Amino acid sequence: MAQYFADIYQAVSSAIQGMGITIKHIYRKPVTLQYPDERQVMPERFRGFVHNDMTKCDSCNICAKLCPVDCIYIESEGKGKERMMTRYAIDYNKCIWCSLCTENCHTGSITMSHDYDHSVYDRRTLVYEFMDPREEKIPCHRATRTEMGWWVEPKEEKKKPVPAPATDTPATDAPPATEDDKGDDS
Amino acid sequence: MEAMYTFFMDKAGMGELGAHITVAAIMASLMFIVMALCAIIFTWMERKVAGFLQSRYGPMRTGRWHGWAQAVADMLKILGKEDIIPAEADKGLFVFAPLLVLLGSLLAWAAIPWAPDFVAADLDLGLFYIFAVSSLVVIGILMAGWASNNKWSLYGAARGAAQMVSYEIPLALAAIPVVMYTGSLNTQDIVIAQQGGIWNWFFLRNPFLFVAFIMYFIASIAETNRGPFDMPETESELVSGYHTEYTGMRFAFFFLAEYANLFLVSMIAVMIFLGGWWSPIPGLDFAPALTFIIKGVIMVFMNMWVRWTLPRVRVDQLMHLCWKVMIPITLICVIGAGLWMMASGAAS
Repeated sequence: MAQYFADIYQAVSSAIQGMGITIKHIYRKPVTLQYPDERQVMPERFRGFVHNDMTKCDSCNICAKLCPVDCIYIESEGKGKERMMTRYAIDYNKCIWCSLCTENCHTGSITMSHDYDHSVYDRRTLVYEFMDPREEKIPCHRATRTEMGWWVEPKEEKKKPVPAPATDTPATDAPPATEDDKGDDS
Repeated sequence: MEAMYTFFMDKAGMGELGAHITVAAIMASLMFIVMALCAIIFTWMERKVAGFLQSRYGPMRTGRWHGWAQAVADMLKILGKEDIIPAEADKGLFVFAPLLVLLGSLLAWAAIPWAPDFVAADLDLGLFYIFAVSSLVVIGILMAGWASNNKWSLYGAARGAAQMVSYEIPLALAAIPVVMYTGSLNTQDIVIAQQGGIWNWFFLRNPFLFVAFIMYFIASIAETNRGPFDMPETESELVSGYHTEYTGMRFAFFFLAEYANLFLVSMIAVMIFLGGWWSPIPGLDFAPALTFIIKGVIMVFMNMWVRWTLPRVRVDQLMHLCWKVMIPITLICVIGAGLWMMASGAAS
């Protein structure tokens, strides 16, 4: 009999306690984010959809080679100073957001943006074309780029580490130029 | 009401029978419209209350302000749905069951006193009549479950019938002390007996009546098949209980009846315990119908609050609670209230 009344007391008191907890939430600001109207502020290093700034890109192919899933498609035509990029595309069906391309881009053109809501109706539309083939082609060689007025990565940044090691400046000056040439030819 | 009769008899030149039929038709359609409005408003309210109790918003996008048009959109959607009757179902019963559920609820609405002179059917046995017709709902639910020819429906219907038949006993027993105090089953008399501010409302008259009020509240939750006593519907074990096989308009009838019943039991609670259309402060009774509806909505909110707080009980716990806890307590309340009346000299 004592157990019977203890049970009733426990049921009533725990129900009142529970209802007290839920009523507190009525006055609390809801945690819901009204998604299309309000958006979460992403952390600075959030890996969203990759953005490639076509005015900076010099089609060096490093990103396409590094990509573990081969989702970056770069097409170019011509040799040496004549070399022109005709296509730059990223296939988001394949992309794993590993960020290897952005970390190793020597011009800093390819970056991780904070966009994440790119849902589509057809997965073929997930291949993002960054160039319109009808527009002017993008020059790849450094000399052509400066000639045509495209953005070129400043030389100073490469020279800076040079004075620190030692005196032989002419030896270090030459290799970057040759490296650039080799990279463009391949 | 008298004014309406005299208007139709004297001004419109109808006979006594014609006036009665006209008034009855007007009141019935008015009650039905209010009931449909209730279902629409309370579905929206239920979702908003559920949302805010869980620190979220609930519907926000339909309509401009807080998704107010969500329930309207849902109703329109449900009207446009295909009406499916299962091949193996008992067609006659299947079609009739939702109507019976709705009927049981609508009949009980007739005896609700909305305002001093406004009650659809001013019956001398009003309270008894309400409890009697609202048990039609049980038959409707059992019919729906049986006619669906589906194991989940039948389980739900059997549970629903067992639960509702059991909980009608504490429900009616909890109302008996009030009837003892009033000396009448007439709904208007019960309300009039609570005149004179909140201290004269029956739930604060004496401790036994207060306990009876709590018992009535718990039994009314079970009676409307809402959580934590939503055994007939238990969406996690039975698919949806007795209305699993229903679609479109027929499902809407069940839905309508559920919310009509919810408001009905809340209004009965207001009527017999919370002073009906009397305002809490004496002398402020300028809008009795509004006072009555506001109190009813507060009781509906209490129901929702309980539903979204407490977890569902088991079937055996449900029956234990009814037969071994609530019926003894309500019986003690009846006896205690009687003794209190004798001691205070209220009994004549």
